[in-house]
Amino acid sequence: MDKKTLEHIAELSRIRLTEKELEKFTPQMETILESAKILQEIGTTNVQPMKKHIPFDNLREDIAKESLTQEEVLANAIHKENGYVKVYGKIFGGIEES
Amino acid sequence: MDRSKYDVIIGLEIHIQTKTKSKMFCSCPTNYFNNEPNTHVCPTCLGLPGALPVPNKRAIELCILMGLATQCDIHNEIHFDRKHYFYPDLPKGYQISQYKDPICSNGKHLCLYAAPGEKTEFEIVEIERIHQEEDVAKSTHHTESNGQEYTLIDYNKSGVPLIEIVTKPCITSARVAYKFATDIQNIARYYGVSDADMEKGQMRCEPNISVQRKGTWKRLDNKIVPINEAVLNPKVEIKNIGSISAVEKAINYEVNRLIDEIEQGKEIVQQTRGWDAVKGKTVFQRSKESADDYRYMPDPDIPIIEITQKDIERIKETMPENSYKKYCKYNKDWEISDHDAYTLVFNGKDTYEYFEDLQAKLSTSFDTKVAAQEASNWFLTTVLSISNESGNKDYNSIATTKDLAQLIEAFKNNILTRNKAEELLRESIEKKKNLGDLISNAKKHAKDITGNIDEIVQEVIDSNPKAVDDYKAGKEASIGYLVGQVMQKTKGSADPNSTRSILIEKING
Repeated sequence: MDKKTLEHIAELSRIRLTEKELEKFTPQMETILESAKILQEIGTTNVQPMKKHIPFDNLREDIAKESLTQEEVLANAIHKENGYVKVYGKIFGGIEES
Repeated sequence: MDRSKYDVIIGLEIHIQTKTKSKMFCSCPTNYFNNEPNTHVCPTCLGLPGALPVPNKRAIELCILMGLATQCDIHNEIHFDRKHYFYPDLPKGYQISQYKDPICSNGKHLCLYAAPGEKTEFEIVEIERIHQEEDVAKSTHHTESNGQEYTLIDYNKSGVPLIEIVTKPCITSARVAYKFATDIQNIARYYGVSDADMEKGQMRCEPNISVQRKGTWKRLDNKIVPINEAVLNPKVEIKNIGSISAVEKAINYEVNRLIDEIEQGKEIVQQTRGWDAVKGKTVFQRSKESADDYRYMPDPDIPIIEITQKDIERIKETMPENSYKKYCKYNKDWEISDHDAYTLVFNGKDTYEYFEDLQAKLSTSFDTKVAAQEASNWFLTTVLSISNESGNKDYNSIATTKDLAQLIEAFKNNILTRNKAEELLRESIEKKKNLGDLISNAKKHAKDITGNIDEIVQEVIDSNPKAVDDYKAGKEASIGYLVGQVMQKTKGSADPNSTRSILIEKING
């Protein structure tokens, strides 16, 4: 893990890190990755994932139910306009943290 | 410019919204089209913390159906994965999709195509995978008067079931890509998987294209690899194609542009371009310097879904006969024109089901072929055209097959004229009246009229002496005028042909 990788991860997560934070988090991330590496050493070939299986027939039937009202949907939005959620910022990058 | 020096390599990604009543992972209704924004939304499709996804059985059935219709293998376990990216149209911060194990894989489709007047050729398009995912919200971009840019978001579309069909990079021309997209649209409609209307965003087509000098590349495990030390050109992806015909136009434009660039010695960079339908050209959107980093991981909220052979068999049983077989039945056995038979078969499952139901009802009174031709003619010119005008796809709510069959019978038995019959149909829709009642009334009225048609004809003759004299003097056209007068008096209920005979008989008599 170097500073550049961390910067890339921060960008993907749409968060800005200061130079000081980058310095601080790089070794921390390194430690996290080291720990995860130990888990990766365990051989798991031919081991089924520990996940519940359900038969196809048990899935939800396709029946539509009532949704929330527009007012309820927009209740948590900081900005709204004519029933839409409003977000400031450009299309690629720079989305405002709301 | 010598284009024959180059090979064109095309792969297609086609997204189709499948036709379910509720969303992919929640019970919100999917009929959001033309509805108020943010009214078909719940905590799940809004991505609120703690809300859990519950997969929709019908949606997965439709995905399997599409796979069966394109000769795919169906996976016996369904795994869902999370595809992460941060964008306001994706409130959870990830899209539930499938990464490693798509529901359907290894399909193929035989694409028949021909330029007008040329021999039909074929190309087999290999389908790499069809996987299930969910649609995202709709965002529109605007600018405030002070120059501040902003985005408006409507979450109604968020979580609508979406399937993605990915072909191998095996398509060799824009023509084949266009034909393949058309066939996929037809298949989706035929099997009732989707209405696949590109204008409504129910189907989206994204081609990726590369142009390579002949002899510099080969296919290895379905990847395009260089021969010897050749440097291959990167691919370009085109987005924002809004109609089936634009698929061919956009690819042709891009192929020419790429060859021009190469001939001019320019370096091609891997990029995404958008199709501008108005200007008829592709426009640079962004370059793909670093590969997309979606950090896929298995979705821990959704269990592994087991599909047995029995489940697949059950879905297979619901599939209608092969579409070509149906087309031949309509076109050859029932002698419905090529164009009409094609529309009936490929306008969608609802269309041919309605048509066949109507045909069956008419078959009780008429010969099978006559029943089919009348059903086709009436359905296409009345119910379907009304549906296209109004956007109402529920044909039975326009006219039930029972009522329409009655109307056609009344016309065939000369009780109602074609115009009168169509007028009743429109009246029933516009004034929300029961068509069955309107037909009964019209029939009764027609009966009254036929009872005293002689009287009405006499009245018309007596009050139009000039037209009668003109006719006697050899002016054939004036009989048309007199028929018109009778039609007016009977409010269109009289049969024009028999009225004509009665008129001539009376004038000559």
